[in-house]
Amino acid sequence: MSEIAIKTVNLTKRYSGLWSKQPVDAVKNLNLEVHRGEIFGFLGPNGAGKTTTIKVLLGIIYPTEGEAYVLGQPAGDPKNHYKISYLPENPYFYDYMTGREILTFYAKLFGIAEPERSKRVNELLDRVGLSRAADQPLRTYSKGMQQRIGLAQCLINDPQLLILDEPTAGLDPIAHIDIRDMILDLRNQGKTLFISSHQLSDVERVCDRVAILNRGVMVQLGRIEELLAGGHVEVIADKVPDNAVEPIRQLGGKVSLHDGRLIVEQPDNGTVDRVIDIVRAAGGHIISVKPYRRTLEDLFVETIQGGKNA
Amino acid sequence: MNATFAIAGATFGEAVRKRILMVILLVALLIILISPAFEPFAAGRGARTLIISFGFGVIQLAGTFIAIIMCTSMIPTEIERRTIYTILSKPVQRYQFVLGKFFGAVGTLGFMYLMMGIVFLIASRMALGGFDPQILRGLLMFFFQSSLLAAVVLFFSTFVSPLVNYFLSGGVFLMGNLLSSFLETIQRNPEVTPITRIPVQLLTVILPNFANFNVQNPIINPEQMLTDETAYLVQTIGYAIVYIALLLVASMLIFNQREM
Ligand SMILES: Nc1ncnc2c1ncn2[C@@H]1O[C@H](COP(=O)(O)OP(=O)(O)O)[C@@H](O)[C@H]1O
Ligand SMILES: [Mg+2]
Repeated sequence: MSEIAIKTVNLTKRYSGLWSKQPVDAVKNLNLEVHRGEIFGFLGPNGAGKTTTIKVLLGIIYPTEGEAYVLGQPAGDPKNHYKISYLPENPYFYDYMTGREILTFYAKLFGIAEPERSKRVNELLDRVGLSRAADQPLRTYSKGMQQRIGLAQCLINDPQLLILDEPTAGLDPIAHIDIRDMILDLRNQGKTLFISSHQLSDVERVCDRVAILNRGVMVQLGRIEELLAGGHVEVIADKVPDNAVEPIRQLGGKVSLHDGRLIVEQPDNGTVDRVIDIVRAAGGHIISVKPYRRTLEDLFVETIQGGKNA
Repeated sequence: MNATFAIAGATFGEAVRKRILMVILLVALLIILISPAFEPFAAGRGARTLIISFGFGVIQLAGTFIAIIMCTSMIPTEIERRTIYTILSKPVQRYQFVLGKFFGAVGTLGFMYLMMGIVFLIASRMALGGFDPQILRGLLMFFFQSSLLAAVVLFFSTFVSPLVNYFLSGGVFLMGNLLSSFLETIQRNPEVTPITRIPVQLLTVILPNFANFNVQNPIINPEQMLTDETAYLVQTIGYAIVYIALLLVASMLIFNQREM
């Protein structure tokens, strides 16, 4: 079994504009590898090409150039869809059906027969907390309930790979937490999750790796810890003699000293202890040690703005 | 096959909840029900022709409108509301989707014809007394006519917008009803040159011949007498099935290439 869940090779999708419009490369030369068992965050602002990429992976649209593979098979092969599932952005379902009916409908698309079908539908309704609303038509469901039905239809085939397009868009914070917990739960079961998002919420923070896409181009890729490395620690000390400054400066980082008050901005790489040792040995007095971590937000904003200036 | 029928079922469920289709059906049922009231306007044997023709006319008109209105938006709505995304991301082949939509449409037409047929039989029995097998045959023919029309509309809907589709399929339906008698007329006229005749002949062959199905209507086709009923039924239904199959294959080929 292939260890790669999703792979794209120089994937390009061009939308040829009608009459006056210029053709747009919604996705340009994308090379992506998502490993089995990981939570992969596919981030980028609106219009970055996330949904376009996902549609190619599902065979809803076709690549202009390049290739895409899902679970080792060329993208879009319906036989492969037994093992994957998809939650679209702002999902919409036949709203005359009840929650139970829509899940039954999707179960039929997988050819799941009775009595297994009813059993699974009931389990899922219970799992997403919709047992009580199961026999109400979907048109009476709130946005959050619709999203939960969306998640339930994603789980009906016990998929190996889940592709979730903006699963938290427009939901309240409690629902974000619910979805995050469900995602962690799925990872514990060994599933692969591919999650797109244009905003950062609790959900994206649980990703093992993220890619950041901007205007169709991948501008960042890596493990979250690596991408967020490069935070710094600020050390503030008092009564530091002038002769202690030089050895501290040699450790690297930004150093300033005014009237015995020292401020050191030190990269977060283990030399902070040395700074403190030097200050104390010289008779100085530590006032505060404060870490400044980079956040996913910082990375996101830096990356996107970097892309705009380029 | 499972998936095809699940899609057909969902399509049927959605269609019978569509207000405009239900309004057409109810109006048709009402008109058919009160049609015996026209009896005094025709004397003797004319009453029979009038009531049956009138009923058929209403049923055919309702069937035509239902087929066109239902099928123009069927696939475009799925794409617009993005319900199709979750369906195609399941193990569903695109041809199964098209087939499911068509079966759902035919199921809906079947349901509508059943309703109208029952009311028509009741109304004509009240007016004329007795049961006329001509009514059943006529209903069957118009049902196949509407099904063929539904396939035409579905075919166009795989590549044109609903608005364009109304005109296209409406045009094809009219031409398919009139072309064969038009062709007969110009064939009888020695002054018509082959330059005019051949294109008309070509169109008559290519476009679906909807006139075939109208034979049961004594007002539209008063002079036509059927010599062999069974042969006519088998031929006409066979024609509908073959033509529908061709249209479905073409629809599937186009839909396969389609991006959503
Ligand atoms: N069907 C389409 N026709 C033309 N352009 C499109 C179409 N779908 C998306 N686009 C364009 O492609 C780009 C990427 O869109 P999308 O993939 O939806 O972005 P995201 O999901 O990251 O917000 C946008 O510029 C969008 O306008
Ligand atoms: Mg999107």
